[in-house]
Amino acid sequence: MNTHVSSDFTPDAVIIGGGIAGLQSALDLADQDLQVLLVERQSSIGGHMIALSKVYPTLDCASCITTPKMSAAAHHPNITILTNTEVEGLDTRDGVHHVRLLQKPTYVNFDKCIGCRLCEYACDTEYPDPFEEGLGAVRAIAVPFTNAIPQKAVLNAEACGTCGTCARVCPTEAIEYDQQPRRLTVRTDAVVVASGFNLNAVTVKPQYNAHRSHNIISPLMLERLLAPHGPYGRVLRPSDGKMPSSIAFVQCAGSRDESIGVSYCSRVCCMYAIKQAMLLSGALPLADITLYYMDIRAFGKGYEQFFQNAKAMGINFVRGKVARIDPVEDGDLSLHVETTEDAEDPLQERRHDMVVLAQGMIPGWQPADSTPVACASDGFVATPALTAPTATTAPGIFVAGTAAGPKDIVDTIAEAGAAAMQVSQYLYQKRSSVLVA
Amino acid sequence: MARVVNTSLLQKIKKHGAGSSLDVSACFQCGNCTAVCPLAEDSGGFPRRMIRMAQVDMEQELLASEELWRCYACGECTQTCPRQADPAAFMAAARSYAISRYDFTGLAALANRSIVGNLLVFAMFSAVFSALLLSRMHTGGPDLPLFHFLPGEWIHSIGVALFAVVGLSAFFGVASMTWRFWQQRRSEGVALNLGALPAAIYSAAADALLHRRFQQCAAESGADARAAQPWYQQPWLIHASVMGGFLAMLVATTLDFLFKPIGSVVPPWYPTRILGAAGGLVCLYGLTFVLLRRKQGKEHPYQRSSFADWFFPVLLTVTVLTGLFCEVVVYLPSPTALGHIVFFAHVVLAMDLVALLPLTKFAHVLYRTLALALFAWRHAPAKVAASVHAEA
Repeated sequence: MNTHVSSDFTPDAVIIGGGIAGLQSALDLADQDLQVLLVERQSSIGGHMIALSKVYPTLDCASCITTPKMSAAAHHPNITILTNTEVEGLDTRDGVHHVRLLQKPTYVNFDKCIGCRLCEYACDTEYPDPFEEGLGAVRAIAVPFTNAIPQKAVLNAEACGTCGTCARVCPTEAIEYDQQPRRLTVRTDAVVVASGFNLNAVTVKPQYNAHRSHNIISPLMLERLLAPHGPYGRVLRPSDGKMPSSIAFVQCAGSRDESIGVSYCSRVCCMYAIKQAMLLSGALPLADITLYYMDIRAFGKGYEQFFQNAKAMGINFVRGKVARIDPVEDGDLSLHVETTEDAEDPLQERRHDMVVLAQGMIPGWQPADSTPVACASDGFVATPALTAPTATTAPGIFVAGTAAGPKDIVDTIAEAGAAAMQVSQYLYQKRSSVLVA
Repeated sequence: MARVVNTSLLQKIKKHGAGSSLDVSACFQCGNCTAVCPLAEDSGGFPRRMIRMAQVDMEQELLASEELWRCYACGECTQTCPRQADPAAFMAAARSYAISRYDFTGLAALANRSIVGNLLVFAMFSAVFSALLLSRMHTGGPDLPLFHFLPGEWIHSIGVALFAVVGLSAFFGVASMTWRFWQQRRSEGVALNLGALPAAIYSAAADALLHRRFQQCAAESGADARAAQPWYQQPWLIHASVMGGFLAMLVATTLDFLFKPIGSVVPPWYPTRILGAAGGLVCLYGLTFVLLRRKQGKEHPYQRSSFADWFFPVLLTVTVLTGLFCEVVVYLPSPTALGHIVFFAHVVLAMDLVALLPLTKFAHVLYRTLALALFAWRHAPAKVAASVHAEA
């Protein structure tokens, strides 16, 4: 795996973001014999997808699809990967993009680290594991997660007590407590913004009182609970470890709601909630599972059938927007909802053990702050040309995946391939015109 | 069978709304408003059902809905509406529309739809009362006692006639609402037991006077800003002081009319005088907050204000202020020219206020109380014995 970048390195393209979109674009470009630099903010590539349990509508294991892509990118001779690296800014001069990068210290020399994890086993300081959405704990120095790439230990300076144990046990003397941030600028002809999304916080709608209960969880938390290698190895509710017997999915909890400033549809919540409901009914066969929705948007190939299957499996679908959630005794939750398809007794208060809020997708990065790339009013990268959906407002800079707006994995991969095609076409035209001139 | 849905009802109601931004068409019936409402009960559907009725032109059903008046505009629904359809503003507009439809003269429709109409109706009544008063006005120096300047007997005669006319008009309005309610419930097969009516009226009157549900509205609403307000600024207390103050003044005026010799000067400690003055001050306290909150426009129920929303409290404020001014003038050695003018204005405005009762926002006094009674009536336990007997 190439992780070395000197100042005279001029890749053909820089991909910002190492999630499924960035990986797909990088692989598609590298396979055309173009040199690619992949920049990832986190300690491992793989993005959100590597943390998911299964994907819809096929219920394939997410790791089983993502890990080969990560591995292929890591072993590709034409791909260089920088993890723990942020893009500080981008200037375009004479058609050349100068990408300013900030490599954050990991306090581990990656050339020496062999991923043996002796430091991780010896470390006695822990903090809430970001990969497990805070449901588990991770050592202050650790390989980010089991199938992380690169398999290198990273030290979290905020959690570390600098006791020196890791340096003592490391067989290759890879620990470097004095590492400093490193700035470098890379010149390139083309850029793909694949910076992905974040979910807005479960506390974004005050009426849902998520700050008052551990049992109101985000969908990514449930993904981890459902994952075979998740924090508890089974589905337990966070507050008391009880096996939940009644679970509610509250749809549109973070999008399609102008009162919280996210008026657009996040496009994936209906489907992942249905998928999670299906997986839950497998994990907890006796549990009641209810999904509260305004309308079900199952628009992709095979999605409507997936929805119908879920109904046939006995998952309750209740039409009505949940207005308020109140924590009640025993860690349970009371939901206030008008069940609008129930003519007799529509106004209901329903109790559940655990509630999953379908949070909305918001942009993972704001390129407009430091690059020539403009964003639309919703905060996602603007793609003004209808016939070139991956072209941004800046020539030579393209966008793929959820950086351009909410979309699911299928659409993201298709778009990442399209962006790669646009990049190679752009490079070919640019270089052939230079040759002609 | 083809069924045509006329969408004009929504447009008509919108004309009664505060500002053109009321966009209740955005509502897609998710039910958030009803579920979040602190006053919605198991019968459900409120305010979502009201909006649905307006969207699909169910005018009879809407006008027969006593539930329209059970809303106290706490604004919880508007605050959390995912579509910003502003259900609270819709409910207010629909109530204004209902006032216009219950009134058979057409004046309410004129007054509630536009600023010009509102001012026109007001000017018309003011002109009539001014003309009536001017016809028997005595002129003289600044020392002329107020009740010689405008003869007390004449004011009383106009007042009696006015109350008779307004009473008749109010009766028709109340009858209109009750009739629609009766018809609609009958068509829905709701059994209405006449025997339960007195208890229903009693509970409604008690509720209206004590602001029981209005307090519930404030207490259960999740709006933190409102919960943080001190008790003396709570919306229900503001309303209670306006209403209580007004009732005190009404009682004082009625007692004076019945027992106090016309034009006689009574000492300041005279019971009805104290009652009237105290009522005026309490009323002013509430009105000050009403006007202040409307001016700030930050929170419900004062977030959006139509002209009609402003008109009624302003009219009431000016009437109370001129009244209090006259109370002072009475004890001055000479009323002075200003005293005469203010007295004239007060009499005209007080008459306007009464005349406009069934036509403006003031009409909620009638319809809200009636609606509470109708609701209690509808949900009163059916007479079990009677129904068993009928079946036998």
